[in-house]
Amino acid sequence: MWGSGIIKGFAITMRNMLRTPITVQYPEQRLELPERARWAVAPRYDEAGLPKCTACLICVKECPDHVLSIEVSKNAEGGKHIDRYVYEVGACMMCGLCVEACPFSAIEMSHEYELATRDHGDLVRVLLSDVDAASPRRAKGGDDA
Amino acid sequence: MTTALAILARFGAMLGLLLVNGVMLIYMLRKVLGRLHIRIGPNRVGPWGLLQTTNDVIKLLTKEDLRPDSADAWLFNIAPFLIFVPSFMAYLPLVFGPSLTVTSLDTGVLLVFALTALVPLGVVMAGWASNSKWSLLGGMRAAGLQIAYEVPLLLSALGPVMMAGSLNPVAIVAAQSGTWFGFIPRWFVLPQVIAFVVYAISSQAETQQTPFDMSEAESELITGFANEYGGMRFSFMYLAEFSNMFIVSAIGTMLFFGGWQLPWVATPAWLAPIVFIAKTYVGIFVMMWARGSLPRFRVDQMLSFCWKRLIPISLGWVVLWACIQRLAPVVIAAVVR
Repeated sequence: MWGSGIIKGFAITMRNMLRTPITVQYPEQRLELPERARWAVAPRYDEAGLPKCTACLICVKECPDHVLSIEVSKNAEGGKHIDRYVYEVGACMMCGLCVEACPFSAIEMSHEYELATRDHGDLVRVLLSDVDAASPRRAKGGDDA
Repeated sequence: MTTALAILARFGAMLGLLLVNGVMLIYMLRKVLGRLHIRIGPNRVGPWGLLQTTNDVIKLLTKEDLRPDSADAWLFNIAPFLIFVPSFMAYLPLVFGPSLTVTSLDTGVLLVFALTALVPLGVVMAGWASNSKWSLLGGMRAAGLQIAYEVPLLLSALGPVMMAGSLNPVAIVAAQSGTWFGFIPRWFVLPQVIAFVVYAISSQAETQQTPFDMSEAESELITGFANEYGGMRFSFMYLAEFSNMFIVSAIGTMLFFGGWQLPWVATPAWLAPIVFIAKTYVGIFVMMWARGSLPRFRVDQMLSFCWKRLIPISLGWVVLWACIQRLAPVVIAAVVR
């Protein structure tokens, strides 16, 4: 029938009107994130609270945006020491390649999604600083990946 | 002296109604459109967002009055008032109750349509004076479309006018009291359903509501003719738009839905204005419903729809109804004899 499309459109909007709004009132209400949501990169820690990072630098090489960098030095025992593990969250595109590449599951894509800052400098985060890197052998024992 | 005071009081009442209406309708539009799109609408300022419009009014009042350098100053300044004043004047012949009207004019319906016909003039003026291509396009579209839709609007109003035998809104409303065959309310919408459909469509175009809002067309012309306006001048245009919505809905109520009268029962005088405004708001809701449901027409589609469909239909209906109204009594008399 000529004009039936208009009537159908009116019916659809009226049905919408009678439904409750689907809006989520964001700061007060939040949706639960799906498990695989990828947001800011965060370091992982073992049971003792020590970082799992072995400072192998694979994540640094893998990152297509060059947002990760690790400054490494030697400690007294001849092992690796992480001076600074720097992450530029403002330039990160949350692709997750670093996490996929990490052989020790030492970093993860966290669910921290409120990333706005008032200060430009806060977009560069120091994930780890002045801490001994985990030895690969120890990390292999407690691997959960 | 007392006459002057009475006139002033009436104009004050008109202005008050217009302003309160404007604020109410802006809030209503936002809420209704929101709900039609499964959103909430304004809900931050005041309870249920009720103070949102007040907030916006204060914002508009305190804004700087800007005029582009290359605008035609004179036309630019008077255009908003040319849009606003007719829609303010069009409250004159509205009938809110058995004796509640600003003036009872014998040509009230004609006056309303004559006044609303002035609005596109202001729109064209605003579009031209802004010296911006978007504004000019909006103004030209208004000239082409709104003026075209005046014709079916007027013709569709002729049916009820013929039935009542008067152009006086008071008489038209009075002619719709009582019932046909004892149970059908004597509202002109029932015999005049074709005229009513034409009226509904062309009034939507006349008030620049969304399926026909080419002269504003936010997504293509960035509010068209109102592009260069801000602050109070813009709010005059905005207010006029909402006041026009109220007027076409009120005229539709008077012509087709029995004005201030309740069906089947006598309406007490104190209830009449409430009934009238309630009916008008139902009409406004339907307009907003259409606004939330339909996408914008293309300009050429809209023009051909007006000239090739609406005008022939409404003209044919006027002729047909004139014949029916003249011939029916003769035929019935002949049959009865």
